[in-house]
Amino acid sequence: MSNFSATLNNSAAIAFKGVSVSYSQKPVLRDISLGLPQGVLATLVGPNGAGKSTFLKALLGLVPLDRGVVEVFGNSIDRHRYRVAYVPQTESVDWDFPITAREIVMMGRYPYQGLVRSISRQDHDTVSEALEQVGMTAYANRHIRQLSGGQQQRIFLARALAQQADLLLLDEPFSGVDVKTEATLLQLMRRLTTAGKTLLVVNHDLSILKQFDYIILLNLMLVGAGPVPSTATETNIRRTYGGPLEYLEQAELELGRSPKELRRDQPR
Amino acid sequence: MPQWVDNIEQALRYYPLQIGTSGLIGMCLGLLGCFVVLRRMALIGDALSHAILPGVVIAFLTINLVIGHLSETAGLWGLFLGALIAGLITAVGIGWVSRHSRAKEDSAIGIVFTAMFGLGVILISQLPEGTHFDLTCFLFGEPLAIKSDDMLSIALVTPIVVSFVLIGFRALRLLSFDPQMAAAIGMKTNFWHYAFMGILAAAVVAALRTVGVIMSVAMLITPAAAAYQLTNRLGTMLLLSGLFGATSATFGFLAAFALNIPTGPAMVLFATMIFVTVLAVAPEYGLISRFRRRRAILLHILEEDILKTMLRHGRPIKQEELVAIRFSAEKPTNIVRSVRRLLRGGFLVDSSNGLKLTTEGQRRGQLLLRSHRLWERYLADEMVPDSLIHDTAERLEHAHHLAETLDQKLGSPTTDPHGEPIPEKPENASKY
Repeated sequence: MSNFSATLNNSAAIAFKGVSVSYSQKPVLRDISLGLPQGVLATLVGPNGAGKSTFLKALLGLVPLDRGVVEVFGNSIDRHRYRVAYVPQTESVDWDFPITAREIVMMGRYPYQGLVRSISRQDHDTVSEALEQVGMTAYANRHIRQLSGGQQQRIFLARALAQQADLLLLDEPFSGVDVKTEATLLQLMRRLTTAGKTLLVVNHDLSILKQFDYIILLNLMLVGAGPVPSTATETNIRRTYGGPLEYLEQAELELGRSPKELRRDQPR
Repeated sequence: MPQWVDNIEQALRYYPLQIGTSGLIGMCLGLLGCFVVLRRMALIGDALSHAILPGVVIAFLTINLVIGHLSETAGLWGLFLGALIAGLITAVGIGWVSRHSRAKEDSAIGIVFTAMFGLGVILISQLPEGTHFDLTCFLFGEPLAIKSDDMLSIALVTPIVVSFVLIGFRALRLLSFDPQMAAAIGMKTNFWHYAFMGILAAAVVAALRTVGVIMSVAMLITPAAAAYQLTNRLGTMLLLSGLFGATSATFGFLAAFALNIPTGPAMVLFATMIFVTVLAVAPEYGLISRFRRRRAILLHILEEDILKTMLRHGRPIKQEELVAIRFSAEKPTNIVRSVRRLLRGGFLVDSSNGLKLTTEGQRRGQLLLRSHRLWERYLADEMVPDSLIHDTAERLEHAHHLAETLDQKLGSPTTDPHGEPIPEKPENASKY
């Protein structure tokens, strides 16, 4: 794992420095500090409501931070948004939208086209190349409804490639796909990291942790972040998915109530 | 000459401009409506059109009191400004209420637009003596009262809407399809949302006298929904929706004249008629073609099952016998139909002993048997429980193109899990 420390010395892909985020006074992320080296296949795990989506939003600069700083490639995200691509959760996509696979991939070119510029030769080439890379050339002109779950994921990966992003954020790409498709997708993701991309994958399947280089364990607080062999320990996973943090949530609920209410409900 | 032809002739002679402008505004609403439908904002569109009332009334009042009867253009701009402000207040208000209360967006919409509408009605009741605001006209439109300032407003709004949709096409599509990516790459999502709302408000104001606010919602949603039924491409959807909107408005106008009925409702019903027709006959998503497709698949499966049964049976069989041994649950008419089609296709012949397979029929039956056994082999290899294998294969065997892929993947196995031989692929198999 020596290459991790080596890449860390260059600018990290992601750096969180003491980041806290809250929604209407309820803290969602507390004091998160971590770094993610470039060129790794990383996974973000944590139970429902652990703040995984908020983590991604904080990373993309889409939620106000209470405290702390988020850096992407050593700079504020606003400096180079196009270098970060977001792959949405399958459930949040409207699969009836009148759009073809190729048109979705072409969306990746939006940051380069802006409003007025028409689609250039280069846009077309980049899109074709991205489709080729994920093995979807033959399906390019299909409507998105006519693709299988794994193919839909690949199209969104191709969009990230067409965007020529260096950091890819994938929100639960494995939900609702079978084991074999999951394996194929993982292979594809591995190929992308070999080509120098950094991937952060929100994931629920603990059985495939070994496939990743790097892991971030999150449950409102940061449980751990580091290379999988040393960080994805049983203790860390137990700390992420169960146990004492339950009381934290309860304490949070109590803090949201007035002292009078609390006294009234106290067990006698 | 019948009366209605005469009526239409009169309409064309005396109201050509009204008809033309109605068509234009119908097109505008149709274009904007595509995004309303795709972003599931039908309720917001409805709310917006009602909520511009106080804006329009205040503008009307101000113009009447302060400016007096200066000029028609000043009144026009005032009206637009009032509607725009009211529209934006509504859009922002809905967002604010749904963020800061426990009520979800649909309730927030209900709260905000009724409040705005109520305010508007109260303002109308307090108008000074001598001024007259026609609420009925606001609600339902009165195309015959279309004056030069209405035509001017439509002439102004149309190029704005068309260029907004053309220039904003990519941005609006991205925002509608994947708002998260739009935000992630730093697109000004709020700007686009409120720009859209503002232009929507302007289009509704321009459509006021033509269709009225209540009916303008229909002109926003119905043509777009009809177009959505017909295509998988956003560009085509916009074209069709604009076309449907324009047609509904112009033909609605003419129909209203011909039959002597109110114009706004006639336009809306015309649009509804287009929608219902499309719903029935659309090539891919239409009810009729979906029904026929399902039926064709069922009959196809039945035909193949008959061939397979006869191949297993091995000798000629009477139609009644066929029903008795295998297809007693099937509707008799379907059996008759399938047999007739198989006879016509040259897969069966009617001999004195009953129905007999032709060489062609045997080939096709064999293909199916092969597919069935390949699927069984695959399912068994994939550890599907024995009890499920046969029934699953019975369904999947009809996907015989995929069965050939299985054959390659499994390395051309020769027997199925029960030890029965898997037949060779027959010649010309691809045509079935």
